[in-house]
Amino acid sequence: MAELLRMTNISKRFGSFYANKNVNLEVERGEVHTLLGENGAGKSTLMNVLIGLYQPTEGTISINGKEVRIASPADAVAQGIGMVHQHFMLIENMTGLENIILGDKRHKSLMLQKADDRKTVEELMERYGLEIDLDERVGEMSIGMQQRVEIMKVLFRGAELLILDEPTAVLTDLEVQGLFDIMNSLTSEGKSIIFISHKMREVMQISDRVTVLRRGESVETVRVADTTEQELADLMIGQKFTESVYEKVEEAGAPELTLKNVSYHPEVKHGGLKDVSLTIHRGEILGVAGIDGNGQTPLAELVTGLISPESGEVTGPDGAKIALFSPEAFIGAGVGNIPEDRNKMGLVGDMTVAENLVLKQTTSDRFSSGHGAWLKMGAIAEFAEEKRQENDIRCTSVNQTARSLSGGNQQKVILARELDGAPTLLVAVYPTRGLDIGATEFIHKQIVAQRDAGCAVLLISADFDEVLKLSDRIVVLFEGEIMGTYPGANPPIKEISLAMAGK
Amino acid sequence: MTKSKHTLSAEERREKTLMVLTPVASVLLALIVGAIIIACLGKNPLQGYAALLQGSLGDLPKIGKTLERACPLIFTGLAAVFAYKCGVFNLGGEGQFIMGGCATALTVFGLGLTGPAALALGLIAGIVVGGIWGLLPGIMKITRGLNEMITTIMLNYVAMYFMEFVFKNLFSDQGLPKTPAIPKDGRLPELLSAHIGVLMAIILGIVIWYVLFRTSFGFKIRATGMNQTAARVNGFPVRRLVLLSFVISGAIAGMGGSIELLGKAPYRLADGFGSGFGFDGVAIALIAQLNPIAAIVVAILFGILSTGGTMMQSVIGVPTAIIDITRGLIIIFAVAGMAMIKLPAIKAFIASIGSKSKKVEANA
Amino acid sequence: MDIFITALPTILKAMAMGAVPILLASLGELFSERGGLVNIGLEGIMAVGAFVGFAVAKVTGNLWMGLLVAMLAGIAVNMIYAFCTVTLCSDQVVTSMAINILAPAIALFGYNLFVGANPANATGEQMASIAIPGLSQIPFIGDALFNQTPVAYLAFLLVPCVAVFFSRFRAGLSFRSVGENPQAAETLGINVVRMKYVACVVCGALAAAGGAFLTLCYTPIYTDGIVMGRGFIALATLIFGRWNAFGVLAASLLFGFFDGTSVALQAQFQAAPIMFFKMIPYVFTIVALIFFGSRSAGPKASGKPYLREQR
Repeated sequence: MAELLRMTNISKRFGSFYANKNVNLEVERGEVHTLLGENGAGKSTLMNVLIGLYQPTEGTISINGKEVRIASPADAVAQGIGMVHQHFMLIENMTGLENIILGDKRHKSLMLQKADDRKTVEELMERYGLEIDLDERVGEMSIGMQQRVEIMKVLFRGAELLILDEPTAVLTDLEVQGLFDIMNSLTSEGKSIIFISHKMREVMQISDRVTVLRRGESVETVRVADTTEQELADLMIGQKFTESVYEKVEEAGAPELTLKNVSYHPEVKHGGLKDVSLTIHRGEILGVAGIDGNGQTPLAELVTGLISPESGEVTGPDGAKIALFSPEAFIGAGVGNIPEDRNKMGLVGDMTVAENLVLKQTTSDRFSSGHGAWLKMGAIAEFAEEKRQENDIRCTSVNQTARSLSGGNQQKVILARELDGAPTLLVAVYPTRGLDIGATEFIHKQIVAQRDAGCAVLLISADFDEVLKLSDRIVVLFEGEIMGTYPGANPPIKEISLAMAGK
Repeated sequence: MTKSKHTLSAEERREKTLMVLTPVASVLLALIVGAIIIACLGKNPLQGYAALLQGSLGDLPKIGKTLERACPLIFTGLAAVFAYKCGVFNLGGEGQFIMGGCATALTVFGLGLTGPAALALGLIAGIVVGGIWGLLPGIMKITRGLNEMITTIMLNYVAMYFMEFVFKNLFSDQGLPKTPAIPKDGRLPELLSAHIGVLMAIILGIVIWYVLFRTSFGFKIRATGMNQTAARVNGFPVRRLVLLSFVISGAIAGMGGSIELLGKAPYRLADGFGSGFGFDGVAIALIAQLNPIAAIVVAILFGILSTGGTMMQSVIGVPTAIIDITRGLIIIFAVAGMAMIKLPAIKAFIASIGSKSKKVEANA
Repeated sequence: MDIFITALPTILKAMAMGAVPILLASLGELFSERGGLVNIGLEGIMAVGAFVGFAVAKVTGNLWMGLLVAMLAGIAVNMIYAFCTVTLCSDQVVTSMAINILAPAIALFGYNLFVGANPANATGEQMASIAIPGLSQIPFIGDALFNQTPVAYLAFLLVPCVAVFFSRFRAGLSFRSVGENPQAAETLGINVVRMKYVACVVCGALAAAGGAFLTLCYTPIYTDGIVMGRGFIALATLIFGRWNAFGVLAASLLFGFFDGTSVALQAQFQAAPIMFFKMIPYVFTIVALIFFGSRSAGPKASGKPYLREQR
């Protein structure tokens, strides 16, 4: 088969951090080429370079053997490259046809040539077996059909190489089969596809070749026919620390919070929970592993009182059923929360560091007098200064706005606030996302220290290394369901990574 | 250690300075544009501005008049500040102001009150009814998700016609379209040629500053206004806080209307009572960047422009609408300026100037 | 009921008259919000349109010239808004509120100069109605509906034009995409910033035309505050017209109907306190919003600033 795309020694540096380092990728005509790697392995960066959103620091791209420069998404389109983003770029209030022809300039007329374009689109639909209701509003379409609209947008603009970024992440099994049929008919017509996925089974089923990325580097390209799932998983995950720097607890304390057959919008695969049962014990870190968007968000919201379960029950330490789900009640019961999005949910960016540190305690006797009416400014300032030094929050003053701090220091502010007063349950969601090594280490140490002090910790993270490193027990969440529970000491890594992929 | 408590980084300081400088520059720029317009009319702008100052601050009675003119604006400005601090865009200051005035008039004339009773009960009625008039759009927002900008404006017109009903039908002064004057002994006493409502307004401003920045209630209001999601996650009763801010904002404006009626000549409701004060209050709050103390200052500036404008008109013969334009320009410049200093490109440019000047300092 | 029947022609006449300025402003806002810009400054732009239309018509003696220059003035005022919100990315609500304060001041200033120079200028020209032969002969409703000023006919004619623009024209489709999802629009090669400026031009022109209608066709004088909240009612009209040209027409007519009813009732019950009738349109607006006021139908990205660098 003829070579269509060759990316040679691509490096992309952000500051001192290499998101891609000497990555090589070569795609042939008519093949499905999978890009495999964990979160943060550099897949998105590489694709953003290919479609012109990023300029590579080093390296070259050639198409059909000719070196090209892709300076903008428009250049990429002109070169016949089209991307279907994981988060669709669709306009929900328009019909399928309108989304497909939007912005296209093939006609000279000022009027839309819907009839003419419809014919073109219908021909493409026929040819590649893409079923789209062209007159339905995109917002009312199934996710699968929305995706087909996205693919059609790319085909309508004459793409030869399609990039599908985790296209199966949002689909049901049946829809996945439909997508694979489409992919097969596309490749049989000579189009090439770069397929991005974590799901081993799917990768084995649909790909011709696989390039594995790890920590920003391309590890190897293999033919699927010559490999096994086990081998790919090994390549993707590499040598893991199985010996954690932190001691693992095997004997946990009494149960702090128990979920029994809890469901929340179970019909939504990537935003719901299905029949989840788990117990968080005192003096234990329970790690929730899983690919992003498999129910982590509702789980976190549930155990912090933001949402209430549709069915099933949640019981507290005394075994009593919790009836009232409100953040206020949960905070009162001693739940500390390091939320998923620190800027949106954790901090009030325009308030000062000191104010954010006392956000939850303004009515406590410590920081206000007159039954929580008047703020004790002195006590607040003193407390803030104390916390600043204790947690090494780097700021010129605690009167600086929280927004102006670096991510690591913002997270330290949240941590300092949530750990003050010794919570009985600490919920940490992606606690080190986007942080540097130093801040990450600090936060890990603090979480372990809480466990040692007897706090029950629920750690939810998409960073598998982090889960392995900290957890005393690991559960895997996949499409809202618990796939299995594993010990934290000497965890069966391969088994867990397959569970994360839904196997 | 203690030294670091109140020091800010160079960047922070620069930002703070710019935040203060922008409105000041906006005022100056607006005055310059005003001067150009005056010059274009063939008049002498310097002479005009001299008359403006003379007419507003020339002697004690004039200062008193200026402060009395500023008084309702302080109230509507503070009402706007309080609402916006909680993320509520209350444009109904005028309606709440008018309803406050109406409630006072109805209480005083309806019950035939005189003396301190008229004053006290009238004022309380004004505050309560203003609060209720603020509560209505609050309920509509919380239960039906209605945009408060539209509902508060509509309620302004309802209030205006209701006031017309009060001064034409209910308590018309001998069939004329105005109510009788508040009895002399029921009016606000004077202090240094201005009624004490001015003092009350200033004290209220300080109280509001204190509530917003020194009490846990104010803390929650501010947190909710700046980040509703975080406020909810951190256990604040967001809906209740939003509703309360509607009510308090309305009560402040209502108190303003009540004081206007009880304190300022002609002590009666008539056509035009409270007209435009709501929007002026919005402008004041925005120029003051939602700081209650700054809002008092800006309101007094507006008062100076208004009373001085009349003098300017009579001395150099330009229409007072020039003052309205100047006011409009101040707010446009302030809004544009505030947005500009937040643009990434402009920020980088300012930072580069800052670091350059520092280098020069270091070299010298 | 009898009273209502006899009053019907009056109501219908007033309905059509009352609907036009709101319809025009609301259609302008439709363009603005479809382009992702919430502009609550309609009231101010209408005031400028009302004054400029009045003054230019008086000076030139040409009512159409008045309308045209009013529209240009509306565009000029709205360019301040466009520059602040699109180029400087300022808050749209705050900026348009500032326009609401500045624009009427400009109108009042102009009026002071204009009438101050010559008191005879206080009363302006008025556009004559044109009866459509045949239709206007229909008993009872003919005169009310088919004996309107040309501007009113044009305004009603504009409705299908706007609808066709948004559904049939390439630019209309691109326009809508900008208000829904500017990022997606940009990836498809649509110039988001230019679209937003165009939206502001159209919005300024139409809102000012709505204002000019007040002084050219409704009453021959300009007074401060002549717009009487119609700019804000137009915002509400857009909401219960569901961001759709025909919906906006229906909502404007409904508003006009209540406006007309209020006028008719005032004429019927002269002894009653007429201010309660005058409240009707405003109360009706609130009630209508309570029942049909969900904002969910609006353009998705409306009100949000768009910075191109944010990817």
